[in-house]
Amino acid sequence: MDIKITNSSLKKFLDTKADVTILSENISLCGPTFDRIHETEGDYVFEIEAITNRIDTASAQGVAREAATILTQFGIPAKFINDPYKLQINLHPGLPKQFHFNITDKDLVVRFVAVSLSNISIKPSPAETQKLLTNCDQRPINNAVDITNELTILYGMPSHVFDLDKLAAQKLTIRQSTEGEEIITLDDTKNKLRGQDIVIEDGTGKLVDLCGVMGGQVAEVDEHTKNILLIVPTYHPKKVRRTSLYLQKRTLASQLYEKQPDPELCLPVIEQAIQLFKERADAEVSSEVFDYYPENRKPKIINLDLTWLDKFIGISIPKEQIISILVGLGFSGDTNPNNSIRCIVPSFRYHDINIKEDIAEEIARIYGYFRLPSVLPHTATSPEPEIKILASETKVKKYLANIGYHEIYNNSLISSELISKTLLDLNNHIKLTNALSEEFEYLRISLKASILQNLRNNQGKVDGPIRIFEISNTYMRDGDNNLPNETPHLCMLSTGDYRQTKGEFEALLKHLNISDVAFSKLNNQTANILTKDKQVIGNIGYFEPQIISNFGINTNPVYVEINFELLTNTIATGYTYRPTSEYPPIVESITIKSDSLIGDIMSKISTTDSMIIDVKYSESFENKHTFKVSFGSSERNLQQAEVNSIKEKILQLF
Amino acid sequence: MLSLKSMDTTYTKRLSEVQNSLAADLKTALTKTDIEAIQSKYLGGRGAFNELFKSIPNTDKPMAGKDFNTAKLTAQTNIDKALKDIINKESSKSFDPTIPGVLPTLGSTHLITQAIEEIQTIFAKLGFARRRYREVETDWYYAEGLNIPKDHPARDDQETFYVSDNVVLTAHTSNGQLHEMEYKKIPPIKMINIGKTYRRQTDATHNPMFHQFEGLVIDKDINITNLIGVTEFFAKSYFGQDRTIRLRPHHFQFTEPSFEIDISCGICLGKGNTESGKCKICKTGWLELGGAGMVHPNVLRNGGIDPEQFSGFAFGWGVERVLMMKSGLNLPDLRMLYGDDLRFLSQF
Repeated sequence: MDIKITNSSLKKFLDTKADVTILSENISLCGPTFDRIHETEGDYVFEIEAITNRIDTASAQGVAREAATILTQFGIPAKFINDPYKLQINLHPGLPKQFHFNITDKDLVVRFVAVSLSNISIKPSPAETQKLLTNCDQRPINNAVDITNELTILYGMPSHVFDLDKLAAQKLTIRQSTEGEEIITLDDTKNKLRGQDIVIEDGTGKLVDLCGVMGGQVAEVDEHTKNILLIVPTYHPKKVRRTSLYLQKRTLASQLYEKQPDPELCLPVIEQAIQLFKERADAEVSSEVFDYYPENRKPKIINLDLTWLDKFIGISIPKEQIISILVGLGFSGDTNPNNSIRCIVPSFRYHDINIKEDIAEEIARIYGYFRLPSVLPHTATSPEPEIKILASETKVKKYLANIGYHEIYNNSLISSELISKTLLDLNNHIKLTNALSEEFEYLRISLKASILQNLRNNQGKVDGPIRIFEISNTYMRDGDNNLPNETPHLCMLSTGDYRQTKGEFEALLKHLNISDVAFSKLNNQTANILTKDKQVIGNIGYFEPQIISNFGINTNPVYVEINFELLTNTIATGYTYRPTSEYPPIVESITIKSDSLIGDIMSKISTTDSMIIDVKYSESFENKHTFKVSFGSSERNLQQAEVNSIKEKILQLF
Repeated sequence: MLSLKSMDTTYTKRLSEVQNSLAADLKTALTKTDIEAIQSKYLGGRGAFNELFKSIPNTDKPMAGKDFNTAKLTAQTNIDKALKDIINKESSKSFDPTIPGVLPTLGSTHLITQAIEEIQTIFAKLGFARRRYREVETDWYYAEGLNIPKDHPARDDQETFYVSDNVVLTAHTSNGQLHEMEYKKIPPIKMINIGKTYRRQTDATHNPMFHQFEGLVIDKDINITNLIGVTEFFAKSYFGQDRTIRLRPHHFQFTEPSFEIDISCGICLGKGNTESGKCKICKTGWLELGGAGMVHPNVLRNGGIDPEQFSGFAFGWGVERVLMMKSGLNLPDLRMLYGDDLRFLSQF
């Protein structure tokens, strides 16, 4: 959470001569980060990032406590002053009750402190207060409202004032809203509530406060106000967060409340407020201080073993230094004889300090992470089997790039429009319940839709043929399992012809040391890619004309889409050596007239005789196909007569 | 005796006549074709030397053979030399080294692939095993098991994509931590999990899909200085030897303590200022790398590892982030990486 405080407000709690640069640099390294510093007339404004779990540092006093501890560590004199936890509190016992709070639900409020003040004279705040508020992005309103806002900056604890006379009855109920209830807030907007918001009702059914987020307009303090009701509450954090999120009212108060400020601060803050109302509005306390605090928390105690601490941080920090750090941060406790320290956690760290590691963090960060040495771990792991997908992925990508393919990273999420253009079934796709837009709504089951879109987008922009590929996960529903199968696919697309594209794919297979892959015709456009065991691992071919036309593509591209995991499973480990023959083969052209598939003709030729060592396809004219057949033996030179007789045998097959 | 003498002079004289004629021909030869003609005129099967030799009476042949062989070798040497001269002369005239080469068709691997390979290689040197874990993940691995309680803001559907009540697209690669602990069962563990991650935001610096790399080391006596050691090794290997790192306090649910890690700016080298004023790249001298921390004891327990015996550290950094920090690409919009314009992609 980002907050703004001024140098002068910080100095109310910090006594040091360190200048702004030294202050901000040292604190940023060991505590809250000073993101930006602006100089204004006679002051500095600090933009500070208070870490989520350190709501105690979202205020001038919180930053001051950190600053004093950190600066002291680096030998820069600094003292934390005006500690609110040491303030004398006057509860004004004996004064009459001017109001009554009815709190039915214990889960809504952690602590609720209130007091009424009379004889108020409303006027503008002193110049100094107005300047502080303006510097911290708050608008000065009047002395009463400004006091509550100033105290939020100083202590990180929001408070609120009502015009007591505008409340219909002084019987107030803190309860959960019901669905459809309405409240007009101080920003002049009417809010329709969803129910379960924390609200204050004035006894007549009217809502006067949207608790923790913003006050109601009905009891707004104005120039006629004479009597006020001042409250310093802490609320259930999650309820406040929910209300402020759905109403889009991310006020400073709501951001503080959703991170659980310290209820022990309520009394010091109301005490400070009373003092300021007396000074600035001539107010008189007109009631006893009301304090509802159903669950008075016991302090947490954590035992810190110093031997463990040294091992965990990696260096040894002297015990005296450890103690001075912890005391500076508000811890108390005592040392045990067995080289350990019993740490009592301060109330304002109740939520973020839970285990010994938390205390180690406090010591290490104040000591200075930047002072720790850099040591590589000696951890050695045992050998393990190779993960084939990961091992071959880069190899495949580089090879395809080398033979002319460009790699594209597409989003895993696509639109229903793209799915239907590709003639895929929308029902097979997993849909997000909270998509950002229709463009990114369904998880892909195939990479085809994206790569066709890629081709369409490049059409007309690039000279010559387009060759692109992607390797990415696909997400197939897996029966009743609520998690899909995440299977990587390789998709290649080329505007070159079928033979060329198939050749490029076959070259990739050879590069990967994969043999025994077969192509079997599926329909007029596509073929299955099969392994040795006849398992279909992908497809190759053209797209249906309808798909091409849906995408507005003006070429007839060839694609390969293959299950990359199954493909890599077929990679052979190692190579087999075949001796090369010393006797040169005899190569002959053979033309065969047949209506069979060329692949079938070739395998028929190859198996005709053991002297046939290679069959290469040359060309076709209608149903006449020419092949270059190599005849040879590893033991001797063949005679032309032998070759002729094998040729005869081949020709007789067709 | 007389006949012997006259015969002797006859073939030596005629031999030197052939040699002179060859020398004259070589002098006037201008092209490779000329040389080829000379080669066959003198040294071909029916060339001048062979013809002369044939004309010598058979009785003299044994004696003349040696002379003829020497003469032919010399002739060949001279022809070769003349040919070499001609080739040298010809090529020095026609060789233009500035003529454009004919390139093979070139493709390209994606910048993110290049970055991932580089990252993986750096961590492999330290013995980190490469992993890729699920992208669609259950609540347990994604949040609950990582010590992120129900209704924590990190589990908001504001920031995370949901597939169903308990299933999300992971917003970080930290889900790999518990998977790795379950896979290895007993430390030591040293993994680098690189994968796709998803967040519900899109603007000039965010794409809904991006990549992270998650390091996890668990062993006996792993401490904060080890995290610094590994981070520094990566920073210096990936960004350059002159870079340094620093840790600042931060908060994450699954690590305790947690850090934000900065790398010194490569332009001003951590000073925040250059000769021409404030550094325009970093403003402060430092660039944010990402989060890290010591693995929270609850997370170790959830992964079946006893936090009293073992400790560990983890970090999760953005691939696109380190890529943009390093390359000086100055892409105006990170989403360009997820575009498909080949005029952009083919540049890398």
